[in-house]
Amino acid sequence: MFSVRRRFFAHVLVFAATFSLLAASASAHAVLLESNPSLNAVLSGPDVPIKLRFNVRIDAGRSRLTLLHPDGTTIPLELAKDSPADTLSARADGLVPGAYRLRWQALASDGHITRGEIPFTVARS
Amino acid sequence: MARLLQIFGFLSVLFRGATLTFQSLTVGGIVFLILVLRRANPGSDPVREACLRWIRSSSLALAAMQLSYVLANSLILMQSADMTVADVSGANYVIAGAIGIFAALTISILSGAHPSRNYAYLLFPAAVVIASSVLTSHAMARLEFRAPLVAFTALHQAATATWLGGLPYLLIAIRGSQSTDLAQQLCARFSKLALISVCVLASAGFVLGYAYVGSFKAAYGTSYGAMVTTKIILFGVLLLLGALNYQLVHANSASGILSSLRRFGEAEIGIGITVILTAASLTSLPPAADLTNDRVSAVEIFARMAPRTPRLGSPTMQELPEDIYAAQSKAFESGSLATESFVPGQAGTRPNTPAEKAWSEYNHHWAGIIVLCVGLLALLAQAGNVSWARNWPLGFFGLAVFLFLRSDPEVWPLGPNGFWVTMADPEVLMHRIFVVLVIALAIFEWRVQTGRVTTPGVRLVFPLLVAFSGALLLTHSHSLGNIKEEVLAELSHIPIAIFAVVAGWSRWLELRLPSENQTRHLVARLWPACIMLIGVVLLNYREM
Repeated sequence: MFSVRRRFFAHVLVFAATFSLLAASASAHAVLLESNPSLNAVLSGPDVPIKLRFNVRIDAGRSRLTLLHPDGTTIPLELAKDSPADTLSARADGLVPGAYRLRWQALASDGHITRGEIPFTVARS
Repeated sequence: MARLLQIFGFLSVLFRGATLTFQSLTVGGIVFLILVLRRANPGSDPVREACLRWIRSSSLALAAMQLSYVLANSLILMQSADMTVADVSGANYVIAGAIGIFAALTISILSGAHPSRNYAYLLFPAAVVIASSVLTSHAMARLEFRAPLVAFTALHQAATATWLGGLPYLLIAIRGSQSTDLAQQLCARFSKLALISVCVLASAGFVLGYAYVGSFKAAYGTSYGAMVTTKIILFGVLLLLGALNYQLVHANSASGILSSLRRFGEAEIGIGITVILTAASLTSLPPAADLTNDRVSAVEIFARMAPRTPRLGSPTMQELPEDIYAAQSKAFESGSLATESFVPGQAGTRPNTPAEKAWSEYNHHWAGIIVLCVGLLALLAQAGNVSWARNWPLGFFGLAVFLFLRSDPEVWPLGPNGFWVTMADPEVLMHRIFVVLVIALAIFEWRVQTGRVTTPGVRLVFPLLVAFSGALLLTHSHSLGNIKEEVLAELSHIPIAIFAVVAGWSRWLELRLPSENQTRHLVARLWPACIMLIGVVLLNYREM
């Protein structure tokens, strides 16, 4: 009886180990659906409103927007508190003409992180 | 930093998978104890004790895995967003994890102290375990119809745990029952419970499928839809096994059926785990309903899948583009990957060049030829009783060498990147694991087929590895966006995975079913046929 039980225990362990080894990430990641500025947009400055809309609710308190300036400096942007649940909003003011990169990192309310980058240009007026 | 995130990302996946396993075992065990075992004869005490032991162990393992998952995810968040422990502690997944850990520990304590015949109080922490899981599901993150979707997700998960998580307890009960009558009584009760669970999970699944997939075109034109379709097909296989069990339970009362029931139950658990894995894989993808652009059309699928002559000549190494790692890094720096959403630690992807596609097609087609030959020889050995054909597993050695050399040309031994890159790149690592699996498969099965070993455990290695490989294919990493090429590649891999799962569990049943069960003859032909079909699908694999 003991050996039977032990063998069965081994079988279930195999199943459990298999399951653990195979399972893919089990929560949905947020995917960017639309953005302002859009990819490679050319905008007139100096003030640029920023709005990123995702496919799911975002934990805005634990998400990040940073702006990489033409001179290489990286400035974190303050997120607006009154955005819809699926949106990250901010303002980038006083931008000089040049090429920028908006880097985003979003924590979906189900616990997974995604990130991406949107290059855009502020044109001379 | 990127490597560190990759490692934690990989660990987080492992912990999440283990959490789901032990969640099903814990909840399924409790429901079994209350609804199936509760009203059984007093002679069922040893079975009850065994079930309680399993519930206790599963709930402890659930708490440990849940804690590890929360820690790994928190480390990723802290590292990638410069957050402190305090910042992270209020996140939804941390709260959900804490609730799950508390409920699991409560189950562990309650199932250990003062065992009695009334276990209804365990249902409350079991419901909390399901609730903590639902808190981190697609439903919670939706913008519309959140409440009903949460309710249907909870029903879907609870019914899955009752059926698939309860199955191991049925096998424990059959083994531990002191009388055949008791075992049959338990089987009949579980059979009814399983039937109700299947109806609930199918109904809830239908509603969730409608909400997340939305249309028939999305069911085949997106990664998410294709995985839902796979889940439905595997669910159909499970129902078939369930129907065979149901028939056995209700057809007659001969004691011999218990042995068959156990064997079908084992296969059901294995395929059930594969279905849950497919579900886990699904939840990592954005729902098809959210991605309406760039879906693959039926015309594109037919154009890709139309039979063509296999590619038997390979492009040279010089025709391949530069090392993929350097190319990805350059693409990222130039911003060409900018609109893609990806998880921390990933570098994104770039479209394959024609030479890379030709390289991959050549790999698949030669692998297809080897697998088709292996399947054909296995069928000859089984059906025609041709003795030399029993050496068919040796064909897998050739496959292993071929895969090792050709699957990742940018990594040692063909490419400039050293062997240790294997450990850091999940895709290369998965290919290497496949090579090890194929070698193990060849060794074990050749020894079995040629009569060198007769140990029952060793004979089961082949079916387990084949089924394992099928499940591994189903959880292969998916693109977060609707990248047509990746969806088309997935559509060709899905039939291979399904055939592998069916082949593995058919062989398992052939070995395990009692000799008087007629189904043995059918499954003995089925698994070589499935291997041949895998070869055919590989031979028609296309990337352009």
